[in-house]
Parts: sequence; structure tokens; C-alpha cells
Amino acid sequence: MIIPINVQPVGSTSRTFPPQLAQFGTDELVLIDLQGFLDVEGDKQGQAIGKLRVDDGTKPTLLIGHHLLEGKLVNLPKPLAVMRRASVTDAEDMTGHGSPERSASTSWNIVAVVKRKMVFSTRPMPMVGRVTPVSSDGRPPKSRG
Amino acid sequence: MNEYTLNFSSSSEDNGKFKLLELPPELCKLVESAINSNTSPSLMIKGQPNEDAVLCTADKTYTVRSIVLSNSMVVATPPAASSSEDSEDSIEIRDQLNEILELVPTVPKLHKLESLLRGQEYDDGDIDDMYDDDEQRPTKRWRYTYEDVSGSIQASEVELQRGLKERRILTLNGQLRPLRPSYLTTILELLLNTLVSLSLPHTAAPVDRLVDTLAQAYDIQRDVSTQVMSWFGTILSDSWDMDVDAVVKEVGLGLLRPHKDGPIAEAEFLQKWRKAVGDTFEARVSLQLLSGNYLSDRSLTQEVVQLTYFPSSALPVEPAARFTDLFLTRDRWTADDLAPFLADIVVDSKDRDKLLLKYARAVTGSEGVWYMARAKYNR
Repeated sequence: MIIPINVQPVGSTSRTFPPQLAQFGTDELVLIDLQGFLDVEGDKQGQAIGKLRVDDGTKPTLLIGHHLLEGKLVNLPKPLAVMRRASVTDAEDMTGHGSPERSASTSWNIVAVVKRKMVFSTRPMPMVGRVTPVSSDGRPPKSRG
Repeated sequence: MNEYTLNFSSSSEDNGKFKLLELPPELCKLVESAINSNTSPSLMIKGQPNEDAVLCTADKTYTVRSIVLSNSMVVATPPAASSSEDSEDSIEIRDQLNEILELVPTVPKLHKLESLLRGQEYDDGDIDDMYDDDEQRPTKRWRYTYEDVSGSIQASEVELQRGLKERRILTLNGQLRPLRPSYLTTILELLLNTLVSLSLPHTAAPVDRLVDTLAQAYDIQRDVSTQVMSWFGTILSDSWDMDVDAVVKEVGLGLLRPHKDGPIAEAEFLQKWRKAVGDTFEARVSLQLLSGNYLSDRSLTQEVVQLTYFPSSALPVEPAARFTDLFLTRDRWTADDLAPFLADIVVDSKDRDKLLLKYARAVTGSEGVWYMARAKYNR
């Protein structure tokens, strides 16, 4: 069995991150390393998780509900290729210039090569009484007490 | 603006669609240049369901290993262009991963070629092709083509082609046919003789003339002799520059091959070998050429060095099994003696040292370092 891997720098999003975020990855993709797993009750689609701030150049903080996480910029020991499985329509497109029987049903596209990541490795700090609801446009929480 | 809203993607289509692949430096360069020039890096994952997957570039093979992370890696991108509101300052989570794929350089899994092509050998007087069109033989034997093999052998294109060449596998009418070693020796000796009898220079021999002579005088298929010549030298616009060492080595191997169980005295062997390659090339005869294919033993009673045919290609591929075999053959080895028998299963000398550390015990004696088996169960 042969599974081809192609390069396809992000096609679906034409937007790019502002430089402040792009420094943590690429213009189009950032890896965030979290302890634990992000989940919400019910339908996840389009749900807001929290607020991400970047202060003093490279100090990210992530506010999720009443918890504040402090993160940092970490250079990866080895670059990571982010691959996305090609959807069926992509695979059909490919048969145009590739050999159809080889690509079979699966193929992967490298959408980005990242050399840094945003790491949140500390325990969350509870933010009592000064939490800004996600929806409101009030003052953002101070990252330092 | 330094605050962003982190959202789950507005569609779940990307969940589980992402993977992270750790890139060794040389592979990273390859991928980045492919991205910049918008070309295909020709990477592929190869393997049968029961094999460990490997990733092949055009000329290298890597084993793919999964590393499970205790943290999760969140793949975040700007929101899709279609979503409307305040997308300037929002980030979308496309997927969450708990696994990284690590790539480790590995030797191509070419040994499968032998079992795959067993029974397909091409030999002297092979009349199979003549019968192929014959109605009387409806059951044509299954033959492998290059494409068949390329799909099932875990090796890159370059490595596979080198492997076919090293294993002396012919491509006849698109079918892969290993050339029987004894027949190969015959062809090479005939080539050497023809060069001498027609007094042709071995650095620039006319291909057509050699092929013609071999076909007319000895009934050797043109296709076969041309491919043999391309294995043992370079063909440039109808002129064959013979790789003398390669030819001399192969002739030597042919002579050594019968001595698998009954050893031959070194002096006698060298004499036979020199005779076989002829006056012109006898100076090139050297046991060094056959390293990794023989064992030499100094017998206790006579001052004669005996050679035994012992090809590393016939040893197991798995390091543990290979070492067991080697230490069954001999109790102890010097590093120099051992190295040729590990060359085909290691990527470099660092890799070899790692194996030696794991499977062998180094003992420093008066004559230098000896490698011995790690555990002795019976004694």
C-alpha cells in the first residue's frame, strides 16, 4: 500500500495571523501545547473557549473561564510538519496529474512546517472576582497580580 | 490588538484529520523547498497492513514511529475566510492531537525482493519467453513488474533500483527476473575473454560489438548482456567503461560460492581467481573485494589460511537474529572482522556501534578488542 504525501500550504484559509501570533508558528498555523484536553459540553462547533492574549512580545496568556494560564514560546527540537488528510474531493483532483491507482483512497497534505510552539505548562491560576466574561467587551484581565 | 478569542472550528470536518510529523533536518529542507517552489516532494508512506510503516523520499527510507504525548497539541489557524464576524481577532481550533510521528532513518527493506522473486530466476537456456505466445501453454506464470515490486517493497525509488542492481535482477519485457549467479559468472568471464580476444579497451568498449559477439557466439540474449554490462560499469553512448573491481569481485564470488561447506585454501583460491579474470586484470584480484562474503580461518595443524563462503546477504536481517547467527559461527570477532557482516543492516558506523553495544560484549584482550555474545546460556 502506498500513501502519498503532498505539500499544500493552507488552501482553505486565505487569512493569515497577525505577526504577533505568527511568531509562534507560521502565518497560517500555530501549535498550542496544553496540559489536558479542551472540551465543552454539547456541540463543540464554533463554541468559544477563552481569550488568548500576547503581552510583552512573546508572553501568551490564556484565560478560560475563571482560570488563567501563562505560556511561553518554545522552539521545537525538530521541526514538525502538520499534515492534513486529503478529503475525498481532494483525492479525486489529484488523480488528474498523479497515478489514480496509487493514490487509492487516502493521501496526506503537508499544510505547514512549524518550528516553534506555544506552550502552556503551568498550573492554571484562579481568577476570582475579576473575570471578564468572554462575550463582554470589558477590561481584559490583568495577567499579573 | 493583542487579545484573541479562541474558538472551536465552526465545522467538525477537521477533527481527527491532522497529524504531526517530526522532520529530520534533511527532510525539513526537502519539504520547505517543495513548499517554496510549489512542487511535489515525492514523499510516500509504504507498507502492508502487517508491516511497520516507512516513509520514503526519492532516495531515503525512514521508519515511522508514533510517540504518544501526555499533553495535547492544538492545531490553531485563522478562521475560515467564509466566517464573517470579528474574525480579525479570533483563532480557530481545527484539531487536538495526542501523538507525534517520529522518523528514524533506516535501511531499505530490500530483503523481501528475494522471497518475492524466488523461482523467477533467469538462467542459461531460458526458453520461457519463446513459449509465452504459444497457445499450448495457457497458464502463463505470474511475473512481477517493477511497479508491482515498487508498491510492496519498503524502499525509496533510488534504493530500490540500486537494490535490483545489487541483487542482479534483470528487467526482461518489463518483468523482473533475478539472474542466476552461475550464469552471471559465465557472462562476465565471456565478456572478459571477448574484450581480450577482440583487443578492445575495457575503459571504452563498443557495446554493440560486445553484445553481438556474445549473442552470436554464445547465444546470450542481447537484453541480458546489455543489462549485465550496465551493472558492471557505465554505458555512455555505446561505449562501455567497465568497473574492473566490480567484475573481478563478481568472478571471485562465483568461484567462492561452491565453498560454503568445504573450505578452500587461500592461495589456491587466489590462483584460480587470477586465472579466471585473465592476465590483464589479475593485478586487481584482492580478498578485500570479497569482504562480507567469506570467513578466513588459520587451521591449527597447517600454516594454511582456509576460506569459506559466508555471505552477509544470507544472514538474518533482524539485528538480534543476525548477532545470534554470527556468534554461533564464531565465538569471538574483532571489530574489523565483524564490520562487513553488519554493513547491510546499519545506516552508519554510529548505528553499528549502537547495535554492538546492545547485542555484543566487548572484551579487551592482549590482541585488541574482541566482541563476544552477550549471554552464554550453556556454560
